[in-house]
Amino acid sequence: MLESRSVTKKFGSKVAVEQLSLVLEPGHVYAMLGPNGSGKTTWMKMAAGLIKPTEGAVLFKGSPVGIESRKHIAYMSTEPYFYSWMTVKDVGRYYRDFFEDFSYDDYKGLIKRMELTEEMRIRTLSSGMMAKLKIAVTLARDSEVYMLDEPFNGIDLLARDEIRESILEHAAENKVLLLSSHLVEEMEAIADRAVFIKNGRKADECDVEDMRNAKGVSMADRYREIYGHEGVQA
Amino acid sequence: MKNLMKYELRKTLAIKLMILGATALAEIVFLIGLWADRNRMTGIGVGLLAMLAFGGVMIIGIASVVILHRDMNTKQSYMLFMTPNSSYRILGAKVLENGISILLAGAFYFALAALDITLLFAHEGRLADLWNWLRDLLQSFDARITMDTPTLLALNFNLLVTWIGTVCAAYLGDVISTALLNGKRYNGLVSFLAFIALMWLVSFVQGKATAGISGIRTVFLVDGGIALVFAVIMYVLTAQIMERKLSV
Repeated sequence: MLESRSVTKKFGSKVAVEQLSLVLEPGHVYAMLGPNGSGKTTWMKMAAGLIKPTEGAVLFKGSPVGIESRKHIAYMSTEPYFYSWMTVKDVGRYYRDFFEDFSYDDYKGLIKRMELTEEMRIRTLSSGMMAKLKIAVTLARDSEVYMLDEPFNGIDLLARDEIRESILEHAAENKVLLLSSHLVEEMEAIADRAVFIKNGRKADECDVEDMRNAKGVSMADRYREIYGHEGVQA
Repeated sequence: MKNLMKYELRKTLAIKLMILGATALAEIVFLIGLWADRNRMTGIGVGLLAMLAFGGVMIIGIASVVILHRDMNTKQSYMLFMTPNSSYRILGAKVLENGISILLAGAFYFALAALDITLLFAHEGRLADLWNWLRDLLQSFDARITMDTPTLLALNFNLLVTWIGTVCAAYLGDVISTALLNGKRYNGLVSFLAFIALMWLVSFVQGKATAGISGIRTVFLVDGGIALVFAVIMYVLTAQIMERKLSV
């Protein structure tokens, strides 16, 4: 459904993503893993159509990502991006105005679960509240692909359970869920496939269950193998 | 497009309300001066209103360029560019919203000026001089301007499209800086020079095209027509660069 064909992205002389090829199939929850600066966010932004690749292409159902794919790919950036003059209600209305697959009722349910209210002003939200709002508004879309960049960043332990549950409710046969994180243990409980990114390249891609059963290696173990001391934060 | 324009309006609402609030204050100063026969106060009110009429329209255009810059260079850019809208629509909404705002602001200040000038001359008991005063005022800009409706409409058309063309040139300069020269040294200077060069080019072509024309109304229309053509070219070019090169 979502394919990355030899994608490279350079920022001046710095190579953020290099020759990254990847195919994401529906019915799976993918964990995109790697330390900070490994290229996960840059790749996701290219898949969301926000950044243009220097070489290669990201394809959605065989066509390069662009206006059409944005109707079907729900992307949540790791950075806060809402207009500061908005309220939580305005954010929902904005998504309703632009995305046909957005359900305001689902949004209301999700913000309630996240312990937010419609009257809250964006400029007064804490980083944790902002993270929850981003997840709520993204998951309120009935999209074919969900890409959540660092969804657990800034979220306390109890809220993480709620978010994990909300994310898993969106896993379905016809959907792709892609989550990026450097919190490997958190990903282990959600993802069935793992993609390891190192220095902008794909270091490994594996089925989590197979890896665990056949090799007796957990996602965190594999992470340590690939990144060594780089991955101590895992 | 309607939704994009709605949010463009919302983004510029604060600055527009500030201009409107300042205009209301200036109008109050003018009216109190007139009512209390305090010429100095009336003069201050007239001065402020004239300044706001020209400055307000300019600020609306400049604010639109600043917002485009913010929409491309901060994380808020995702709000626009992750929606299923092409750069043509995104930029088109900005140009249209800005054009309509400038048109409405111009009409508003024109109506307010007409009202205030009528009040002033009625109060001074010299209403008959109003027409002559207006004629003299317009002729101070250009001796060929006459007080007939078609000429005034042509003048308004010219002013509107010239300012929209200026805003489009600024859009193009900013997009060149953000999309093509991002991270390069002197990109701000290069985009500013590109803006100046574009404005010079428009004015050069206008000068050549209107050189042999004697009728002022025709000059306004030809000048405005050229500004409009350039505005369209700059809009298409800007949207094309955004579509192909812009990463946010």
